Amino acid sequence: MRRTLAVARAEWIHNLRDPRSLFVILALPVLLLLLYGYGINYDLRDITFAVYDLDDSEVSRDIIQSFIQSGYFKLTEVITDDRRVRDLLDGNRVVFVLVLPPNLQGALGAGRPADVQVLINGVETTRASAAQGYIDAALARYSQTLIADYARRQGISPPQPLTVHSTILYNPGLSSSSFIVPGLIAILVAILSALLTSTAIVREREWGSFETLVTSPVQAPNIMIGKILPYVAIAFVDVLLSVLTGVLVFHVVPVGSVALLLGVSFLYLLASLATGILFSTVARTQQLAILVAMLSTLLPTILLSGFVFPIRSMPLPLRIVSQFLPPTHFLIIIRSIYLKAGGLAVLWPQVLILALFAFVLVTLAAKRFKKRL
Amino acid sequence: MPDLALDISGLRKSFGNVVACEDLTLQVEVGQIAGLVGPDGAGKTTSFRMLCGILPADGGHAVVGGAEVTTDPEAVKQHLGYLPQQFSLHRDLTIDENIRYMADLYMVPHAEWRARADELLDITYLTPFRKRLAGRLSGGMRQKLALVCSLIHRPRVLLLDEPTTGVDPVSRRDFWKILYDLPRQGVTILISTPYMDEAARCSKLAFMSEGRLLAVDTPQALRSRLPYQMIEVRCRPQREARTALQHEPGVASVEVFGDRLHIALRPGTTSDALKPALKAAGVECEEVSTVEPSLEDVFMALTLEGQTELTA
Amino acid sequence: MPTAVAVDKLVKKFGTFTAVNGVSFNVAQGEVFGFLGPNGSGKSTTIRMLCGLLLPTSGTATVAGFDVRREPEKIKANMGYMPQLFSLYQDLTVAENIEFYGGMYAVPRALIVERLSYLSERLELGVVLDRFTGTLSTGWRQRLALATTIIHKPPLLFLDEPTSGVDPITRRLFWEVIDDLANDGATIFVTTHVMDEAEHCTRLAMMHYGDLIVEGAPAQLRQDIVRNMVEVRATPLWNALEALEHAPEVVEAALFGDAMHAEVHEDIADPEATVRIALERAGVQVEQVERVLPTMEDVFVSLARRHEPADRAGRKG
Repeated sequence: MRRTLAVARAEWIHNLRDPRSLFVILALPVLLLLLYGYGINYDLRDITFAVYDLDDSEVSRDIIQSFIQSGYFKLTEVITDDRRVRDLLDGNRVVFVLVLPPNLQGALGAGRPADVQVLINGVETTRASAAQGYIDAALARYSQTLIADYARRQGISPPQPLTVHSTILYNPGLSSSSFIVPGLIAILVAILSALLTSTAIVREREWGSFETLVTSPVQAPNIMIGKILPYVAIAFVDVLLSVLTGVLVFHVVPVGSVALLLGVSFLYLLASLATGILFSTVARTQQLAILVAMLSTLLPTILLSGFVFPIRSMPLPLRIVSQFLPPTHFLIIIRSIYLKAGGLAVLWPQVLILALFAFVLVTLAAKRFKKRL
Repeated sequence: MPDLALDISGLRKSFGNVVACEDLTLQVEVGQIAGLVGPDGAGKTTSFRMLCGILPADGGHAVVGGAEVTTDPEAVKQHLGYLPQQFSLHRDLTIDENIRYMADLYMVPHAEWRARADELLDITYLTPFRKRLAGRLSGGMRQKLALVCSLIHRPRVLLLDEPTTGVDPVSRRDFWKILYDLPRQGVTILISTPYMDEAARCSKLAFMSEGRLLAVDTPQALRSRLPYQMIEVRCRPQREARTALQHEPGVASVEVFGDRLHIALRPGTTSDALKPALKAAGVECEEVSTVEPSLEDVFMALTLEGQTELTA
Repeated sequence: MPTAVAVDKLVKKFGTFTAVNGVSFNVAQGEVFGFLGPNGSGKSTTIRMLCGLLLPTSGTATVAGFDVRREPEKIKANMGYMPQLFSLYQDLTVAENIEFYGGMYAVPRALIVERLSYLSERLELGVVLDRFTGTLSTGWRQRLALATTIIHKPPLLFLDEPTSGVDPITRRLFWEVIDDLANDGATIFVTTHVMDEAEHCTRLAMMHYGDLIVEGAPAQLRQDIVRNMVEVRATPLWNALEALEHAPEVVEAALFGDAMHAEVHEDIADPEATVRIALERAGVQVEQVERVLPTMEDVFVSLARRHEPADRAGRKG
């Protein structure tokens, strides 16, 4: 115990005496959270569009107004020339162009079908497909009002369309922050923990002080634990800071048990820190350690854990791989705690899996971590 | 039969095709200062690492401080002090913190290590610098600190791998003052050094070259075993003299010493035999005197004669 | 003798740390000038300033007639520099590294071949020409480094700790080559922390924590600096050492090989007798007490002690 603490104390002092690195370790997650929290936003606003109104009638102006008033669209230009349409789209100036054909009002008034053309810039696929949804909805609404007007003029009460009452549970505003923030916490902590421990050990080897440890009677598992201890504390502080940032800046408050969150975070941390130890057994230099840590945690974690892309829509092989990543299970837990107030009763399978991961990874790391130069 | 602190027999280690250490056999009694000397790449560091239990041997045995290191490497560590070639303490810890670290690693009782630290730091003139970071100390002070740290747990055996290389002469003297007192306390020392004057202080010397042990004996015995006669000559012009002598079959080596030449004569060669060659080179020589062979001469002779391949 | 290097009150500071504290000296052409001192005394910093690699904080230096501040490139064209840290390509063979440096110094192809053969012979590199540099041990690496430094036969050579970490055989070889080069007319400025290598220098200067504490020829320094040096053989050696350390007339006593060197105060007329008495009083068996010339290390230690700056605590007396 005394020996383990000696190793931990030395590691702690290393960090204290390197204030710049310490600042980065503590501030980085918060900074990244702010950056990505604001940056990744699925909610669409200000979808830019241009209109080519060849009818220039009351109806066409009505349609344009209904688009503007929906709140999602922003009219940036009224086109008067054919070529301008292509220019705007080719130059990525607008997301779509609304083309209202000549004699629109006339056609509608005479009961003939009328075509409205919408040219969407498909380069930004996400915006384009979301925009399409909004456009269809906007036009459908307008069609609805046309039918209603017509019915009233005929003296018939218009058929009532099916009213859909959809209630969005757990995330009523469908705020993407609430979705992103817990996910970000999970990702950042995983990456940071692996990075910290892997570089800590490789760095000691590079400095030469590892030789002292190896020559002394301290046993390998004790060295490993001693090295991890300070980073458990540091990573934990990181988790707290991230949660706080979520609350204060994004107003994302976990509705569930914070105690459970912190407890599960602890397990998750252990697993991530142990992964870092494993990396240190293959990397000989700090550069390599950082590289291995980043590549092995960043990409799989972001792409396969369900952080951005839903696991259910992945092909089977990738779905299987994702089950073997601790972040996948932690994400389920943290999102549940944040949005659903999920408790142990519901989450115990994931908690168990995480505990298993922690145990297996720590054991594996301990096995591989040898007292060799 | 006196107690052996180090009983090494047939220790071997290869790295791929390179034989780093071949059949090392050496016995060091308790309280001896034994020296390991040899050119670069001779296998000294490899041998040390095996004796410390941090590098597994390919074969052979070594009992270090009573424990067999090849079968139970962890057992030797509590009673071993090791100073590797490169500084291996924490540069961003102070002298005090480094000592405490070592004391903790070796589980030295609190009261004991504090008193011992005070004493050792005093002898090494490091006391005024206790709160200074190790990285801010001069090379000599760092090595003295490393020595203090390696002694804090009262090891039975001390292994030192070229501890004074690059250290300033003043610190080197401080260092040896401590070393020289250790045998009295029952500590056995095995030190490798490139300095022949340090080698001369050892009671037993082992010469290694290219992984093999070439000779083991006391410094005096080794000097007397030198088959060459050493003479000192003043010649003019010196350079031509040296070239001419180097080609003489009866001359084993020629070394420049300021304005004099040290010549190692093979058995059977006298200084007179060299005269014709020198005359032919147009050289004038005077003041021929015999000198005591130095350990460096022994080193040169052993290495040159024993050298088969000029590789790392 | 024209002056190859002239240094006047050269200073280099790194922030608040003074690495070189106003050194002044001259090196004549054809000399082997030694710069002695332990690691951290300012030797490498000085050499780098002279090579035009580091700008001095203050003071002046002229190398081969060129000012180090204003014309460093002209200096570099006329010199060979062997840095302390090995800086050749590990994944090139020995021959390839030599050819590379030949090319760097614009040595004509035919001449490179000739020099290569000379260097292989002189530095005994013939057997390792096809070996990868990364696989060589320190001794061989340093030989290669020296070869690349002199491939273009520069008139001026700066060697920074060329024998550091090198075995005695390579060490001897190096000094022989340096001798040859000096005989051929080159001026050589060499630094080392091995005091005894001073024997090979025409003149030398000693550095101590950034200060130049002495300058002169080795023989003269040995004679003049420490007048009362006594070599002692006695048993038990440890007791003898302690006895001498406590003797008031003895300024410094230290182990020397398996004997001791004791510096007796210069006012004492008969140092041998004084030492003998001190030892006999301590009950030590005296085998031999003889007045000798001090070694360069003795000279250094004596000067360092006299020169000890006020804030460097720790020495006795």
